[in-house]
Amino acid sequence: MSEIILKAENVTQRFGGLVAVNNINFELRKGEIVGIIGPNGAGKTTFFNDITGVYMPTEGKITFKEHDITGKKPYEITALGMARTFQNIRLFYRMTVMENVMVGMHTRTDANLVDCILRSPKHRKTEKEAEKRALEVLELTGLLDYRYQYATSLPYGLQRRLEIARAMASNPDVLLFDEPAAGMNEQETADLMEFIRKLQSMGYSILLIEHDMKLVMNICERLYVLDHGNLIAEGLPEDIKANPKVVEAYLGAGGVITDEDA
Amino acid sequence: MTAAPKNDKKGLWTRIIEVWAKNSRLISLIFLILAILFPIVFNKQYYITIAINCLIFSILSLSLNLITGYMGITSLGHAAFFGVGAYTAAILSTRMGFGFIATAILGTVFAAVFGVLLGLPTLRIKGRYLAIVTLGFCEIMRIIELNWMSLTRGPQGISGIPKVSIFGLQCVKPIQKYYVALVLLIITVLVIMAIMNSRMGRAISAIRDDETAADAMGINVFKYKIMVFSISSALAGLAGAFYAHYMGFIDPNAFNFDQSILILSMTIMGGMASIPGSIFGASVLSILPEVLRVVNDYRQIVYGLLLAIMVVWKPNGILGGFNLKHIKQRLDLEKLKKKGSEEKEAENNV
Repeated sequence: MSEIILKAENVTQRFGGLVAVNNINFELRKGEIVGIIGPNGAGKTTFFNDITGVYMPTEGKITFKEHDITGKKPYEITALGMARTFQNIRLFYRMTVMENVMVGMHTRTDANLVDCILRSPKHRKTEKEAEKRALEVLELTGLLDYRYQYATSLPYGLQRRLEIARAMASNPDVLLFDEPAAGMNEQETADLMEFIRKLQSMGYSILLIEHDMKLVMNICERLYVLDHGNLIAEGLPEDIKANPKVVEAYLGAGGVITDEDA
Repeated sequence: MTAAPKNDKKGLWTRIIEVWAKNSRLISLIFLILAILFPIVFNKQYYITIAINCLIFSILSLSLNLITGYMGITSLGHAAFFGVGAYTAAILSTRMGFGFIATAILGTVFAAVFGVLLGLPTLRIKGRYLAIVTLGFCEIMRIIELNWMSLTRGPQGISGIPKVSIFGLQCVKPIQKYYVALVLLIITVLVIMAIMNSRMGRAISAIRDDETAADAMGINVFKYKIMVFSISSALAGLAGAFYAHYMGFIDPNAFNFDQSILILSMTIMGGMASIPGSIFGASVLSILPEVLRVVNDYRQIVYGLLLAIMVVWKPNGILGGFNLKHIKQRLDLEKLKKKGSEEKEAENNV
């Protein structure tokens, strides 16, 4: 088994009296695709936000590539090599597709204020690198033809893809996708699945939150199931499908997850 | 993907902007030459005085645009930094005999320092709350200027500020002062263009569009806000230092809340996130009071009418809501694609 790249130990997140995430242990290994599933309000996104630094966990420890990132700011965590997408698309709407991706390059470039104002060689090198990498990523994601359009002008499926492209631009080791297939039609979901597999083959480790059972069961190697903030199951997709606790959380007692759902 | 269907019903305004985008360098050059020729052609003190006003307010409006238009932070206290620059220049030159270059540099630096000092505790709050804080800051600065008699001479103001002089060369004639102001404006424009066309500029635009996403992309949002806020203040301070030497006399009334609102109106009316917009807005609102002198009693009505028309017709500001660079990139790509498909067609025909 490959080494652990992201690890959460006993992570708990409380908002006042509400325990949104309760004592969760989690690990992601290099090159894996892992999914977090659970009904609405299970605490998936909260857990995501704990990992990415949007929230500070009330208890517990999060380790990323041997760095303790508990309580670190999102921009610091991104700089270490973790990039994410958002459940409700958050693109930079008054910037072009290309510029959106170039913003993703921010942590990989370091021209400072003086460089920018004096147009120093460092600034020029930075711009060249950023442009080159952005074009690469756009080519890979099939967005090259749209590069000078505004992010808003893209159709929904492509906006989702642009979010992924922007995350990839930062050269991360781990990609976190928060409901990447939300609102997509079947064809778009199928394309997305194929694309996520391609990302895995390129060496990214991927963690995703998803509602679409078909997508999750098809591409994830391991799953974590949350319900009311508790981890109720973890393991291989087949085992999860058969787990009575999971079935109960999703469908209520007595339900069955058929092959049509998955 | 095919190129966007050709739209033959483009509006006149869209066409104008496209032509402008294609030839933006040439058009900027033409405007620069016109600005250089202006005082030679209209060599009358009255005209040049108005023109210098336009230039000073253009710098102010541009510097405010950096935080308001490009980064999305509304400041109601920009005049305070203008004041910091002006008072720094006035005090240093009247008491310690500093020359214009030294006071301009120090005025800029002091204003930047005040920008950081105001930004550090306040830039974590957002939107209208932050706007109120900047308004409060402007008032505090005005009250300090009014009451710290030993330093600012209070309501009497500081008079006898030496004329603008550069390397011992005294700028006595209005036309000389005009050119100094023009150089300062050009510096401002170049600084803002350099910042916006870089890695930093992209980070600034990203913060404006979505702070959470910018943070997730590795941008230290708070650091950027402080930095941009202080650059903006610094440029206002530069304008202030020139203003002090140019007028020869300053008092706290030049840096009050009304002035802040005037600068903000110029920025918004001219166009958010637009350099030509800021210059245009500043010029219009500097010239308008002079033009409307003939209808003095109805001036406010004309203002109100203009404002109402503008809000309905161009809510983004007259020259706002479009980005010349983006338009040019898009047009170039379309042209390239068209050429490519034509070549393909030609090949097929053979």
